[in-house]
Amino acid sequence: MSAIDQQRAGQPLLVETFAEWREAARELLVHDVPPEAVTWSTPTAGGDLFSGAPSTAEQPHNSSKPPSPAPDAPPRHPPPHVPRSLMDMLQSAACCRVPDRWAFLYRVIWRWQQGEHEVQSPADEDGARLNAMVKAVRREEHDMHAYIRFRERPPEAGPPRFVAWYEPQHDVLPQVAEHFISRMGKVSWMIATPEASVLWDGQTLHNTGPLVKNSEDLEDTGEALWLTYYRSVFNPARLNQSVMQQHIPSHRWKNLPEGKIVPQMISEASVGARKIGQYEAVGQRKGTTIPIAPEDAQPERQQPSKLDECRRCELWQFATQAVGGEGPKKAKIMFVGEQPGDQEDLAGQPFVGPAGKLLDRVCEAAGVDRESIYVTNAVKHFKWEPRGKRRLHKTPAQKEIEACHYWLEKELAHVKPTVIVALGATALKSVMRTANVTLKNSIGHPVFHEGHWIVTTYHPSYVLRVPSEEAKREAFQTMVDSLKLAHELLNRQPEEPPA
Amino acid sequence: MELKDKLEILADAAKYDASCASSGAPKRDSVDKDGLGATNGMGICHSYTPDGRCVSLLKILLTNFCVYDCQYCVNRRTSNVPRARFSVDEVVKLTQDFYLRNYIDGLFLSSGIIQSSDYTMEQLVEVARRLREEHQFRGYIHLKTIPDADPRLIELAGKYADRLSVNIELPTQDSVSRLAPEKNVHTIKLAMGSIRTKLDEKDEHPKAPVFAPAGQSTQMIVGADASDDQTILNTAQTLYGSYKLKRVYYSAFSPIPQSPSSVPSAPPPLLREHRLYQADFLLRGYGFTAGELMPNAGNLALDIDPKLAWALGNRDHFPLDLNRADEGMIARVPGIGLRSAKRLIDLRRLRRIRWEDLSRLRCSLKKLAPFVVTADYKPAQGAASSELLRRTMADAPQQMNLWPELQAA
Ligand code: SF4
Repeated sequence: MSAIDQQRAGQPLLVETFAEWREAARELLVHDVPPEAVTWSTPTAGGDLFSGAPSTAEQPHNSSKPPSPAPDAPPRHPPPHVPRSLMDMLQSAACCRVPDRWAFLYRVIWRWQQGEHEVQSPADEDGARLNAMVKAVRREEHDMHAYIRFRERPPEAGPPRFVAWYEPQHDVLPQVAEHFISRMGKVSWMIATPEASVLWDGQTLHNTGPLVKNSEDLEDTGEALWLTYYRSVFNPARLNQSVMQQHIPSHRWKNLPEGKIVPQMISEASVGARKIGQYEAVGQRKGTTIPIAPEDAQPERQQPSKLDECRRCELWQFATQAVGGEGPKKAKIMFVGEQPGDQEDLAGQPFVGPAGKLLDRVCEAAGVDRESIYVTNAVKHFKWEPRGKRRLHKTPAQKEIEACHYWLEKELAHVKPTVIVALGATALKSVMRTANVTLKNSIGHPVFHEGHWIVTTYHPSYVLRVPSEEAKREAFQTMVDSLKLAHELLNRQPEEPPA
Repeated sequence: MELKDKLEILADAAKYDASCASSGAPKRDSVDKDGLGATNGMGICHSYTPDGRCVSLLKILLTNFCVYDCQYCVNRRTSNVPRARFSVDEVVKLTQDFYLRNYIDGLFLSSGIIQSSDYTMEQLVEVARRLREEHQFRGYIHLKTIPDADPRLIELAGKYADRLSVNIELPTQDSVSRLAPEKNVHTIKLAMGSIRTKLDEKDEHPKAPVFAPAGQSTQMIVGADASDDQTILNTAQTLYGSYKLKRVYYSAFSPIPQSPSSVPSAPPPLLREHRLYQADFLLRGYGFTAGELMPNAGNLALDIDPKLAWALGNRDHFPLDLNRADEGMIARVPGIGLRSAKRLIDLRRLRRIRWEDLSRLRCSLKKLAPFVVTADYKPAQGAASSELLRRTMADAPQQMNLWPELQAA
């Protein structure tokens, strides 16, 4: 008999599974039957007791609609559209062992159908209950995933190789079985519960009678090792019983092998052993120190460079490593950038990121061999600030530029380039040793300063950043021109800049 | 030595590492496959010990022989503790046996430094390789990386392990040089950097070989040196930003047998560790910066949680109109978490937020009352001073544990 016929005949609707409920609910909705007009029954424990009871104790959403449709009334609605998220919740909640589960689910879906979409929200009264049921079921699934303990059967007993006993509070065995199928592969096992048992033979799942009726039915030597482990990972110096109890409800402990040693561990921890945080059985053993001289224990590692040990400013603290210059020791042209970026900081080399790639293209366009140029930065450690989980480049302060000039001077003294190409304002300030210079006034106007020609141009990341295509092209061309200029200057007589 | 004895020693020696999570691995299963193991990204705690910490992994050292002399570590070479060493096979077998019985989700393997960094790292990698390649183990594997080891070994470790960790242990360079003379912050950072570089490669080129899909983590010991919480959180923030860490674990220093005089003889309050975890969560999940949480030197308040402390120190942001504010700001209200903030925004699309909604969402009404405005609620005019609020909202004072021996009775 269809749901609507049963309902018309005044019979309680008998529903055992979620699929059956869904069928029935669809039919009832199509015929616009309000929840107050339906009685549901369920054959599981207590079913008879509750089958005649009103669908829910309170009915906060009283409806003035007639309790049932007229006989032979045509369907009043197209089949309902229920979003996946709500369907999933209903399906989960259906596993919750409460006597009025089917009636309640129907009221939820009915209200949704009436346009009361807040019925899904935990801020709604029914929604709160629905969410609580879903939560209880998920929790039970989770607990079963976590606290089932398999015991191994002797090989001569044949399959299943592992057997577990568990007492779930909701109807979650089917989904839990799926979990263990994916976990155990082709190993055979059985999970027995008071209501039902499943057996996995390595290929197929069967519903069977239980092999065990409690968690103690089998001896398993593997368990002794587990208890040893459990005792040893516990730090008696941190005894914190209440947190432990918060996590595992007390009724679970009785089926957990470790549950039986907990009281003893707690009382041991409360005397003596607590002070040193060591498990007694370990503390009683004979100890040994390792006779090795401190020098011999030193790991073989490359000595950090002098640059890495620099503490002239604060920046080293936040960076991975200092990034020095790179290139031929007698290069005629030296690029000076601002500071290493995120990738340079990890790689320990200057200009390896996108800015470095752009620099390559500039060299190519200017017809200058990139390999002949020495590349370095005004500041050797990456300066940044956190933005979410990323490091956002931050322009170095004048005092950091000054502090780090020490290293740039060393490089200049060493390489003795004829021309320095300052990439961007920070580099310019650094090589000119003053904050009173601007990029705008310097681009295209080389100066001779402290024995080097200084050519100023954009920083490659400016070219990468500038939004319009046209400005990008222009900036790129400026860089190329600057580099060509630098190349020409190699052969020009040094002259002091006009005062 | 019997397996049981080794397990006793090498689990005991590993318990000071606070890391225990088994989450973040890609989905794997063993349906119709040889071998064993599944991961679903979530990780499961299989038990809790009486210290309130979860057991989700077989957490052991391969050996507690160690040539280093880190003062805070029970396994330092000058420490007179019983020593043991597992064979690679023993660890492989234990992991599988424990896994089959559903005690664990996988393995967390660490080791004392023996012979050399490379040798030690090779041994760790070999355990993971055998589990994965010879036994098709698909459970979770976390390897502790030896920072001075050859980067090629670290790369190999990332091929087999779900997660790699390099422990920074102490928040400042000075403390490391003083308390862990053989360690070096520079090489630790370089190791973290090389792991991040590999993780980046994988992100950018999805076809690149698998590398530590559950990311990297680290641990800081709290209370073994004099660093305050401001220093600790700043270091954590630097590490999160620089190396894409999934987690920084904080481990309150535990007194160890025959403690050297260079470390304190008493542990810091466990509550301090707890507050650091709360603050860390605010850094990772809520977009707070270390500077916001700890504008001044010192430690986090013990009587109130860091979010409430921040709100009391920043009353000008409040009261916040829950019907207008954006989600990020709502989540900054004490007593409202990320989930509730999201739910409020969802609900707001349907109708206006009312006081009742907050209680149904199980927000902490006592905490949030002075900080929010809803359609039908406003905090009283001339709201109470932050001092007064702090006193009324402080967590119940901790029971002084003067006679722990008596408590068990
Ligand atoms: S940025 Fe320069 S001055 Fe500052 S610490 Fe690094 S190398 Fe030294």
